[in-house]
Amino acid sequence: MTEQKIRRRDFLKMIGAGIAVALGLRSKRTAASGPVGHSPYHWVMVIDQAKCIGCGYCTLACQAHNDAPPEIHWNRIIEVGKFEKKTVYLARPCMHCDHAPCVSACPVKASYKRADGIVMMDYDRCIGCRYCEAACPYGARAFNWSEFDGDNPAVPKWGVPEVPRRPRGVVEKCSFCYHRIDYGLELGLKPGEDVVATPACVVVCPVGARVFGNLNDPDSKVSQLLASTPHFRLREDMGTHPRVYYLPARNTQT
Amino acid sequence: MVNAARRQDIKGKLVFLWFAGLSVVILAGVIAGYHVFTKGLVITNLTDLVPWGLWITIDLSSIAMAAGAFSICAVVYLVGLKKYEPIARTATFVGFVGYSMAMLCLLMDIGRPDRFWHGFVFWNPHSVLWEVTMCVGLYFSVLSLEILPIIGQTDWLRKYVPGLSEKLVAIHHYAPVLAIFGLGFSLLHQSSLGGTYGVLQARPAWYRPNLSVLFIYSAVLGGVSMTLFVSMLASRISSKARVDDSLIEQMAHFIGWALLGYLYFRFWDTFSVSYTYQPGRSEAFALLTKGSLAISFWFGEVIFGMVVPVFILLKAKLRRNPTLRMVALGMIAAGVIAYRWDVNLMGQLVVLTYLPQEIAVRYASYTPSLVEILTGAGVIAYGMFAVSVGVLFFNVVDHYRVEHDVVEHLPQVVSHDGALPQLAE
Repeated sequence: MTEQKIRRRDFLKMIGAGIAVALGLRSKRTAASGPVGHSPYHWVMVIDQAKCIGCGYCTLACQAHNDAPPEIHWNRIIEVGKFEKKTVYLARPCMHCDHAPCVSACPVKASYKRADGIVMMDYDRCIGCRYCEAACPYGARAFNWSEFDGDNPAVPKWGVPEVPRRPRGVVEKCSFCYHRIDYGLELGLKPGEDVVATPACVVVCPVGARVFGNLNDPDSKVSQLLASTPHFRLREDMGTHPRVYYLPARNTQT
Repeated sequence: MVNAARRQDIKGKLVFLWFAGLSVVILAGVIAGYHVFTKGLVITNLTDLVPWGLWITIDLSSIAMAAGAFSICAVVYLVGLKKYEPIARTATFVGFVGYSMAMLCLLMDIGRPDRFWHGFVFWNPHSVLWEVTMCVGLYFSVLSLEILPIIGQTDWLRKYVPGLSEKLVAIHHYAPVLAIFGLGFSLLHQSSLGGTYGVLQARPAWYRPNLSVLFIYSAVLGGVSMTLFVSMLASRISSKARVDDSLIEQMAHFIGWALLGYLYFRFWDTFSVSYTYQPGRSEAFALLTKGSLAISFWFGEVIFGMVVPVFILLKAKLRRNPTLRMVALGMIAAGVIAYRWDVNLMGQLVVLTYLPQEIAVRYASYTPSLVEILTGAGVIAYGMFAVSVGVLFFNVVDHYRVEHDVVEHLPQVVSHDGALPQLAE
């Protein structure tokens, strides 16, 4: 009887040790829901549908700077209708939601949220299960079904790659050109105003339909635009709190 | 006499043909799988809109078919209905095979199979899929421990490595503890597999709490039915499998009632979708009841998966006929598989747009590619192969097996001076 008791206790000890080891192995990355920590920056993008002419330069610049294959579009231009005989377009990057469904879906925290609001992808951690693709309401995610080993047709005309190519088998998406923001801040530049520190799609836009900046700064262009103009975000009913704002097609002559 | 020998000869040839046929399918699957690993998922028909297809259906179905293991082990070792213990043995083995099939599918399906272990090291407790990963991994360990005694009981191991055999058999001592862990992990992930779909707000066809409940319910039904079906089929084909028909009949009777309950819940689950128009969800409902999933829904799930087997299993006269009962149990299992297929696709074939001007739906399409079918068939053939090996060489279907493996060591009474007590005159 006693022999049996000890064995059972050892069994429980083994399980306890197993749990302790597993807890020790736990990653220390920030929690999955919502931003954690404080940042002086609250990056947002404002896209003006009244100005957008659907030229698609943003998509091409994005593909070149982020070295994405031709079949993957981090930024998509969709024709959505007409307003006063002019075609209206909707440019759709990643929304960098504050309550990002992809971040809570990812089983390994390969998708995670930075304190400044950018939804990041850790391509070294992604296992390619594609659950985030099913979870994203905006279709902003693309899977690397095959290896991208050819020339990038958008290079060098639309820009030069600034980040490494992603391997086959991982999911990728728009990153708000976080590398440009981080690099710019290091140099003491202002993302949204200084070209080097601003997302490539914003810089290339020939009509100035895209504006990027810090919503925490009341003097920033994005703060002023959003304060003075009616705006909307995509699928606000879902409570994802996107960080991409749209100024609707409207009569701007007044 | 001559006749018996001849029958034996034919039987041997049939067994050989069965294994040879399965080996061919497995080989084709291995070759196709090699192509998947070298060329990547580009050779499948999966897309960014329909990222989960045939493999995920086989994965979900294998896990559901494996649910007999935890359910029957809980009935035997926790509820204490010891008379069903021989069925628990079959269920555990079928469960082990089912989970290994699921893992083979997942290994092919994920884009980076070399990183399959990331889920165990990089935790995201917010993710339902993470919880599923952990529970499947842990439960597979439980199942492995549970089948070790079965391996230890084989005659050749007992003969050639008696020490190891005894140690493996001794694990059976912990069957109740393992049953507790098995029950916990299974209740968690079997329902979370439905929850994996159910929590996605972006997919209105999935976004409802019913999926978790129906997944665990149908898994228990399908898993137990599959276990009984395999037992009955094996006993008809091989003399190595012996079943106690009254035991199976009792359980089948219970399944009949449980299936009636499932029919009720599945009816309300489907019917409630039709109340009002809701973008995305209503279109998916149309797809299920009169679109591309209609055949699988009406025939796979409703008529042959629920109505006919309920009738057979609840009508005593029909249920007592072993052939009819076996067919009914097989139909239930097939119906659960059809349910997995329908759920997986109905949420993906209808895509809700995010355009502000109009909340409209887009339709996606999916037909598995040849590579997906070959690898999927390979995985299924592997499962059949493994269960056949279990029946022929590990006696996993044997309701009349005498438990002679647990050696009881009677306490030896030792007197104070250390001398063994004298035998009574």
